Amino acid sequence: MFGWLRGKGMSGSAATAVASTRARHGDDDLFDEQFQAKLEMLALAARRMHQGRTRAERRSKKTGSGIEFADHREYSAGDDFRYLDWNVYGRSGRLLLRLFEEEEDLSVYVLLDRSRSMAFGDPPKLDYAKRLAAALAYVSLAGLDRVSLVSFDDAIRGRLPPTRGKNRIFTAFKFLREQQADGPTGLADALRMFVTQNKRRGVAILISDLYDPSGFEDGINILRYQKFETHVIQVFDPTEVRPPLHGDVRLVDEETGEAREITVTPRVLDRYAKAHDAYRARIERFCAEKQVAYYPVETSTPFDEAILRILRRGGMLG
Amino acid sequence: MIELAGLSLTQVLTVLGAVGAVVVGLYLLKLRRRQVAVPFVRLWDQVLADERTTRLFSQLKRLLSLLLALLLVALLAGALGDPRWKGASAEGRSIVVLVDASASMQATDVRPSRLAKAKDEVRTLIDGLGPNDRVLIARMEAHTTPVSPMTDDTAVLREALDSVEPTEVAASLAAGLRFALDVLRDQPHPEVVVVSDGHLGPARDGEGEVALGAVALRYVKVGRGRRNVGITAFSVRRYPLDKSRSEVLVELRNAGDRDESIELSLLGDGQAIDVQQLQLQKGERIARFFQDISGADRTLEARITLAGGAHDDLPADDRAYARLPERRRARVLCVSRGNLYLQAALLLDEYLDVTEIAPEAYPPAGRHDVIIFDDFVPSTLPDASAIYLHPQPAAGGVGPLEITGAITRPLFEQIDRRHPLTRWTALRDVNVADSLAVRLAPGDKAVAGDARGPLIVAGTRGGRKFVALTFDVRHSDLPLRVAWPLVLLNAIDWFVEEDASYLSSYRTGETWRVPVPAGAREATIVAPDGDTRTVPVLEGRAIFAGLRAGFYTLRTRTASGATAEQVFAANLADDAELDITPESRLVVGATTAGRVVPGRAGLRAELWIALVLAALALICIEWVTYHRRVTV
Repeated sequence: MFGWLRGKGMSGSAATAVASTRARHGDDDLFDEQFQAKLEMLALAARRMHQGRTRAERRSKKTGSGIEFADHREYSAGDDFRYLDWNVYGRSGRLLLRLFEEEEDLSVYVLLDRSRSMAFGDPPKLDYAKRLAAALAYVSLAGLDRVSLVSFDDAIRGRLPPTRGKNRIFTAFKFLREQQADGPTGLADALRMFVTQNKRRGVAILISDLYDPSGFEDGINILRYQKFETHVIQVFDPTEVRPPLHGDVRLVDEETGEAREITVTPRVLDRYAKAHDAYRARIERFCAEKQVAYYPVETSTPFDEAILRILRRGGMLG
Repeated sequence: MIELAGLSLTQVLTVLGAVGAVVVGLYLLKLRRRQVAVPFVRLWDQVLADERTTRLFSQLKRLLSLLLALLLVALLAGALGDPRWKGASAEGRSIVVLVDASASMQATDVRPSRLAKAKDEVRTLIDGLGPNDRVLIARMEAHTTPVSPMTDDTAVLREALDSVEPTEVAASLAAGLRFALDVLRDQPHPEVVVVSDGHLGPARDGEGEVALGAVALRYVKVGRGRRNVGITAFSVRRYPLDKSRSEVLVELRNAGDRDESIELSLLGDGQAIDVQQLQLQKGERIARFFQDISGADRTLEARITLAGGAHDDLPADDRAYARLPERRRARVLCVSRGNLYLQAALLLDEYLDVTEIAPEAYPPAGRHDVIIFDDFVPSTLPDASAIYLHPQPAAGGVGPLEITGAITRPLFEQIDRRHPLTRWTALRDVNVADSLAVRLAPGDKAVAGDARGPLIVAGTRGGRKFVALTFDVRHSDLPLRVAWPLVLLNAIDWFVEEDASYLSSYRTGETWRVPVPAGAREATIVAPDGDTRTVPVLEGRAIFAGLRAGFYTLRTRTASGATAEQVFAANLADDAELDITPESRLVVGATTAGRVVPGRAGLRAELWIALVLAALALICIEWVTYHRRVTV
C-alpha cells in the first residue's frame, strides 16, 4: 500500500501515520490499504492526464501578475505603467492595460453532504461519498493543490482547513471518518455559509444526493455567483430508482419525517422510476444550462471507476 | 323450491349476519400499513398525484373486495344449511336391507358364494337409490345386527356392506322382520328388502306372526343349487365305566335332489381314527355310531366328502366338532379295614390314584381330593370331599349325620333320578338288610331311600361336599350290581366337578352358558377364527353367543389370579340350513314379497358441494388477481 510513497521515501511521520491508521481501523475501514493503493493509482492516472507543469500546475481564473497574457482593460489612474500596451496605443491611441493570468496554487473545496438521507442504501451513500471525497482530495493533493474538506447538512458541520501535500491525506481521512449522517439537507443555507467563510475562489466539488426539499438550484447558484468552478456529483443508491416495495406501505422521509401512504404496485413503481428519472434530468438540464459539471454516480459503481470517469471527462481537475 | 336439511334458515341467516358483520367491521378498520423509510419522500408526490386520479377506481375495487368477501360468507353459510330441492326429498323411501348371513349363504353354487352374490345385489340396489332414499343395512342370522346407520350416504352403505361376514348359524326371519319394523316405525315410505336364499325359518316367534302393516316387503333371491349333504348331529360321550373310551353319534342327511356316495371320516385330536363309506339316497337321513373310540383324548371332528373327493354346494355343514369331557386324575384316600367290594369298584377307573389306610392311621400326611370312610367316622371333619359308607360314629363321636336309630330292610323307593349320583344306575330292586336312621341337616339331600329314611344322602359339611350311604354295603346286594361302582364313580365325578352331563358341543346361534371353574370372575373366549373377546360370567357360567362352528378356547381368571383354560366345540347342526334349494318366493302372512323397485331417477343433488366449490373458486380468483397485482 502506498508503494509510490514508500518508493519515494515516505517520511517517518507519514509511515507512522499509515501504521497507526492500520492499527486503528480494521479491514472494514473505509480507507483501508486497498483503498489507498487505488488512490495512488488514481493520482498517477491524473498526472498522466495533466503532464508538463511543475508546480501550481493549474491556472486560476484570477488575472494578476503572471507572465501569460490574458486580456486588456482600460487604463485608470494608479495603474502600473509597465503593463500599458504601447502597441495598441500606437495603432488606436487607446490606453489599454495588459492583463496577465496570475499563477497561483489552486484551491479545491470538496463539499460533502452529510445529511440523514445520505445514510440510505447499502452501502450507505455517505460511505461512498466519503471515498469519492478522499479520492478527489488525494488526487488534488498529489497535484500540489490546496485542498479543503467541508461537510454540511443545512449548515456547515465540519471543515478541514486548506492544506497541501500528499501526506496530509491522513488528516483528510480522519476528518471524513468523523462525519456521521445527520440533520436535514439545506443546500442554500449551507453553501451560503461556505462562500462567506471561503473568500479564496477555486474548484468547489459538491458531493450530495441533492435531496433538498427547498430545491437544489439555489445552493448551486450561490457557488456559481461567487465564481467557484462548481462540479456536482450526485450520489444515489440503485434501490432509490426502483425500490423493492410492494403492497400497502407508509413511506416516511428519513430527514423530515413526512409520511405518504400508498399501495405499491408494479405500475406505481414504474411511475416512481419515471419521477426519479425526471428529477435527475432536471438536475442535469439545470447544470448544463449553468455550465456546471454534473456527474451522476450510483453507489453500485466501483468508486475508482467512478473517479476515473469523472477525471476523464476532464472538466473537473484539468 | 329449495329446503334446508342442515341448519335452519334462521340459523343460516344468523351465521351470515354474524360473520358478515365481522367482515364489514374488518373492512371499516383502517389498514395498518407497513412503515418504510425513504430518503426523499417528495419524489413520491408525483406518483401519489397520479394515484389520486384512480382513487375512485380503487374505492370501487375495495367495495368489490368487500362484496366478494360477503359473497364467500354467504356461500359457506348457505352450504351449512345443506340446501336440497324440495320436490325430490318428498319422495324419499326408508329401506331396511336384511342381508342373510346364515350358514346356507356360504353355499358356492353361485361363485364365489351366495353371500358375495347377495352383496352384489345390495350394491346394485344402492346404485339404484333415489336422491332422497335412506337405507339401513343389517346382517340377518339368528339375531339381526345393523351394520350401518339409516343414511343416504352411499359410501357409508358400501363400506358397511363390506363388513358383512358369513356366519354358521341358522337365520331367523322373524327376528329380522321385528328389527326392521322397529327401525321403520314412523318412517316415510317404509320398505324391507330381504336378500337371501329364502331359508329363513318361519315369520313367527313367541309373539306370534309378524305383521308387516304398511311396510312393503321386497325379496331378492340368491342361489340356484341344491346339492348338499350335511351333518345334522354330532355327539360324543365317554363310557361311564371306562372313561378312556367313548362312543360317537353322527347323524347325516342328504338334502339334495340326487343320491350321494359319501365318505365319513372321524378324527380324534386331529388324527384320523375311523372312515366309513356311506350311500345316502336323496332326502335320506341316517345315524351312525362309532363305538369304543379310544384314539382321542380331547377333540373329535367328523368330516364328510362326496365320492371322488368332491364337495357339495355347502361346505359349512360338512364338518362337525366335539370336545370330549375332560378327565381329571383324582387322589382318593380309602380309610377302611378292608373292603374288597370297594377296592374292586375303585379299580375300574384308571384315573383314580387310590391310597388305602386303616382307620388308626387316619389322618395321613398329604392332600386328597376324595376320602372314602368305610364304616368309620373321623372325629373331625375331613379337609376334602368325603364318601361315608355306614357312617356310624364311635361312642361319643359325632358323624356327618345325626343318627336317630336303625331301619330294617329299607327300600330304594324314592330315587332322585336327576341327581348326578344316580345317573345310569338301577337301584330300585337293591336289597339292604338294615340302615341307619338319620336326621338330615338343612341343605342335605336325600338322593334315595324310602319314607322311613334316606339310604343315600348328599350334602355339604364344612364347605366340602359329602355323600353318605347309610347302610353297610356288605349287608346288601348292591356290590353285586353294576350300580355299585357307578354310584361311587358318580360321587367322585360330582366331587371333582367332572360333569357327566357335559355337552360335547354347543349349537351356533344359540346363547351358550359354558361352566367355568368356581370363583372365576373373568372369561375370555377365542373363536375358531381367532377372534378374542371378553364375555360375562353369570352364576358360574360364561355367557356367549357364537356364530361359527369349530373349537373355542375359554380362558378364565379367578379373583386370586389363578387362570384356567378349556376347549369346547360348537356346531351348526341345524336341519333347516341343510336344505339350500333357494326359495323363489318369500311369503309373510298374507304378503308375498315383491321385486325391488329402483329409486326415482335423478341426480343426488348435493347443493352444498356446489356452494363450497363456488366459494373455493372465488378464493382462487381472488388469490390469482391479488398476486398478479390486479386487485391491489
